[in-house]
Amino acid sequence: MAEVKEYFYIATRNLRTRSLRSWLTILGIVIGVFLIISLLCLSEGIKATITQQLRAMGGEMIFIMPGDLSNPLSMFMGGAKLEKEDIEIIKKTKGVDKVLTMSYQSVVSRYEGEAKTIFLAGISWEEGQEILEKFQGWSLEKGNWPLPGRREVAVGQQVAKEIFKEEVKVGKEIILKGKKFEIVGVLNSLGSKADDSYIYLDMPLYQDLTGEKKGTAQMAMVKIKEGSDLDKVAEDVKENLQKIRKRRAGTEVADFSVITSEKMGDIAGSILAVIQFAIVAFASIAIVVGGIGIMNTMFTSIRERTREIGIMKAIGAKNLAILSIFLIEAGIIGFLGGIGGTILGVLFAKLIEFYGQVHPVFYFSASISPGLIIFGLSFSLLVGCLAGFFPARRAAKLRPVEALRRYE
Amino acid sequence: MPEPVIKLENVWKIYQLDKVELVALKGINLEVAPGAFVSIMGPSGSGKSTLLNMIGCLDFPTRGKVFLKGENISLLTENQLSQLRGKTIGFVFQEFNLLPNLSALENVMLPMIFQGMSEEKRRERAKRLLVSMGLGERIFHQSPELSAGERQRVAIARAFANNPELVIADEPTGNLDSVTGKKIMEILTDFHKEEGKTIIVVTHDPNIANYSEEIINIKDGQIVANHLTASKVLWQK
Repeated sequence: MAEVKEYFYIATRNLRTRSLRSWLTILGIVIGVFLIISLLCLSEGIKATITQQLRAMGGEMIFIMPGDLSNPLSMFMGGAKLEKEDIEIIKKTKGVDKVLTMSYQSVVSRYEGEAKTIFLAGISWEEGQEILEKFQGWSLEKGNWPLPGRREVAVGQQVAKEIFKEEVKVGKEIILKGKKFEIVGVLNSLGSKADDSYIYLDMPLYQDLTGEKKGTAQMAMVKIKEGSDLDKVAEDVKENLQKIRKRRAGTEVADFSVITSEKMGDIAGSILAVIQFAIVAFASIAIVVGGIGIMNTMFTSIRERTREIGIMKAIGAKNLAILSIFLIEAGIIGFLGGIGGTILGVLFAKLIEFYGQVHPVFYFSASISPGLIIFGLSFSLLVGCLAGFFPARRAAKLRPVEALRRYE
Repeated sequence: MPEPVIKLENVWKIYQLDKVELVALKGINLEVAPGAFVSIMGPSGSGKSTLLNMIGCLDFPTRGKVFLKGENISLLTENQLSQLRGKTIGFVFQEFNLLPNLSALENVMLPMIFQGMSEEKRRERAKRLLVSMGLGERIFHQSPELSAGERQRVAIARAFANNPELVIADEPTGNLDSVTGKKIMEILTDFHKEEGKTIIVVTHDPNIANYSEEIINIKDGQIVANHLTASKVLWQK
């Protein structure tokens, strides 16, 4: 098999003679691999970010959210709310220790004359502070916690350091929706950029400011009493909520979800798995199209080079030699496309990550693993070889006399 | 009598064209002894090219047998035949048929690659052959950069690469002017004389045929006359 080196040389010479066509074919593969690599980098990154965020939420917690989790769309519509009596019943459920309620929406915030749209989160501070400090690991970098009833806010790390040009400092004023508030605390990082980009304030204050109905909330977090069974309490909360909602609305449709932190991780994981599968499926179509491009180029080039094939056979080339030369050509096209696509894909993912850091809209880091790069390269090489196989076999099977006869 | 380099035994070649049968060769019997210089002459459509394909082991007969150095080629696999052909026969074509992407040197080295010769050896031999053809300065040129005569000399060097026992030349001077054509024929004649190799030239040019010791005339797929000629160069007149 020492001849492989020579075949490789002949193949590269052939590719270089038709360089424009070779590059165009390579471009087809570049696009496909680019799609796969960039989308996988991003979705892996999102997955890692979400997992990290879930971990930051702490272990033994129950989350109550409006909307049905089995129908992910309803989660984002955010129309439904937990009413005052819903929250009351959660508090009364056996095994429930403390309930932290939370609402959020984005508002225009003005600091030192600079206006930005920032998420504002209202938290039932009196009840919730303990949960946040002990179970969610919140801590202050500077200043104090806001006191209930006073127009005071605490800001996340991103708000303090990144979002405004001027660093946000304790003791300064911030104007939210046209009203003045005092910044009393800066939080340490909560483990995710999204959480670090909020301004936190007491629930009644939030509801005054946004006009949300008193006593309601968008979601609730429950800390259970020591010794209680997490799943059992979650079950009970769900049952109670169902009862009270049925009495109120007369329907049994569950328009809220009660889930434990563990289950939340599972659900997020499975949704992401579906998304990733869809991404790979669509990107694979692009690769297949690229592969067809290779096949097309190879068939064309075999037609053009029929005579060359005949000459090589006449002077002693075995079928395997011809097969190897053409297979190597197709493989090179695939592999070069893979290199280009991988580089572009990684660059693109990094660019999105960079953009996310500058503009706090999405927060994640692109996940670029050596495995993904190896996958991209070997996959494209495989596509090249597969697409090249049939043309190469046709070339190898040409009878020398037939190949030589074609004079034009 | 020594074993013929190539022997055709009642060879028929019939092409199936849609519904018509075209009989190209009608029971050809032919033996070419080692060291002979034979011309095959005939008008176009006479079956000359088909006969060349048989002699060159590029195609299989419909009926009859072709023996290359005593081996019945119909019994060989395609790969075995390729190997044997590459080792035993050198081809020179009318259109030179060099691979355009490769340099003169690489073209000459190609048959040796297929025979598995080591790189060092084949490079050395290819260089020597090209130098002996007077192409020492042109070895790194690709065929589009060479003149017609130079290309044909590269092609001859390639035909000689594996030191074959038989060189088949198909209208070797057909695309050349008469002076260059003469040079090419001299190279072939020298190879025949000095190395004692077998040469078969297919041509319709009597001047070229007259270089050979024997002329085989073919017409309508049959050998019509087989006259010996003096190995005299009449062209020089």
